[in-house]
Amino acid sequence: MALNGTDTMMDKKAILETGMLERYLLGELSSSESQQLEAIIKRDTELQRLFQEMESDFEKMAQENAIAPPSELKDQLMSRLKKKETPVISLDEKNRSMKQYLAIAATIALLFGITTIWLYNQINTMQDKIEMVEAENSVLKNNFEEFEDNYDEVITWYNQINDPNTIQLVLNGNEKSPTAKAISYVNHSTKMVVVNAAGLPPLDNDHDYQLWADVEGEMIDMGVIPKDTEMVAMQYIDKAESFNITIEQAGGNDHPTVEQLISNVYLK
Amino acid sequence: MPNEIQLLTQIKNGDAKALSLLYDNYSGALYGVIIRMCKNEAVAQELLQETFLKIWQKAGSFDPEKGKFYTWAYRIARNLTLNELRNPSPLIQTEDLSVYKEKVATEVLTIDELKLNGSIKKLESHHQKAIELVYFQGLTHREAHEEMNVPLGTFKSYVQQALKKLRESYQLTIFLGWLLMEQIL
Repeated sequence: MALNGTDTMMDKKAILETGMLERYLLGELSSSESQQLEAIIKRDTELQRLFQEMESDFEKMAQENAIAPPSELKDQLMSRLKKKETPVISLDEKNRSMKQYLAIAATIALLFGITTIWLYNQINTMQDKIEMVEAENSVLKNNFEEFEDNYDEVITWYNQINDPNTIQLVLNGNEKSPTAKAISYVNHSTKMVVVNAAGLPPLDNDHDYQLWADVEGEMIDMGVIPKDTEMVAMQYIDKAESFNITIEQAGGNDHPTVEQLISNVYLK
Repeated sequence: MPNEIQLLTQIKNGDAKALSLLYDNYSGALYGVIIRMCKNEAVAQELLQETFLKIWQKAGSFDPEKGKFYTWAYRIARNLTLNELRNPSPLIQTEDLSVYKEKVATEVLTIDELKLNGSIKKLESHHQKAIELVYFQGLTHREAHEEMNVPLGTFKSYVQQALKKLRESYQLTIFLGWLLMEQIL
């Protein structure tokens, strides 16, 4: 962009009318605008004077509104300065002998480098092996913990079933579900009812088996028999006269769908 | 007031004492600007240090023919502060925690502590506001005229009238000071 006096975007009149001097002072102008303005100011004594007065007035105003920073700040600043002070080293005299030392140092460094690479590879191989062994250990440990859990569970059921007070009652399927078979273990002393539902034919996702106790003609919920379980504890009901299994909607029902009774057994 | 150009040459040569002198003379004015812009003591203190560190680093690029040292320093302070306000850097809050911890109690300043003094107070309120926005808040002319809800042209004339009045006020001060000196001598 040409910078002669008359036909630039920035002529003196425009500068004064659009407040370019103060915007320049404040740092609002882009670097190219600033450069252009600086060139124009340089050639115009009136603009120079105006700008200098403006600088002076802004500075006075800022001083009138000065706020003293805490004194520690200066100490901090000066100590940060010391860290940034970079002394100038003259290299010329030290250069020649430096070259010899550098050559030796480079050779030694290279030797170290080769050895390091070899060692590094060795270490990596060993680390890989260690990791493999650790992974195997981890798998074995997990397996063992699973076995322990299973064993604990089996022992619990075994003890409950073999308690002398436990009565075994078999629920056979009626004509609606002839192949159905569930075994219930009842202990009136410990108030326990456990059911082995493995023999019940599987149901679809929309239906569940539900267990009921008949108490004086009223059917009381003992719980939904969860799918895919063998042994499950159910709700013990006092004075139950019989156990009854019905097919209900998934999640169970408040009262039994009597037409869907597939099995029952009488308690003595 | 020591010779600025001389001081800056010394700073360029790595003379920390020269920066120390500039700090003594100008830190208050710059701090007053920075703290009014960001309204947070801890951040303002860090920014003040950053400003002088930058002055230290860039002393070589100050050109006395283009203007006064203080104008140059003001721009550095303003740019650092505006950048920090736009992109707060986590470093500033956590660097040198000891300073930050002491200042936590008085972190956000009240309007009262930041009120303006001196000749600017003699201006009419809209003139005063205009100068305050562009100088002490770091707004551009565009941002400021929107803030005051007046057309850009009107706002620019506020600034110019304010500057004119300040000039008259300071000239009078200079004249009276001169008179006083004449009386004493």
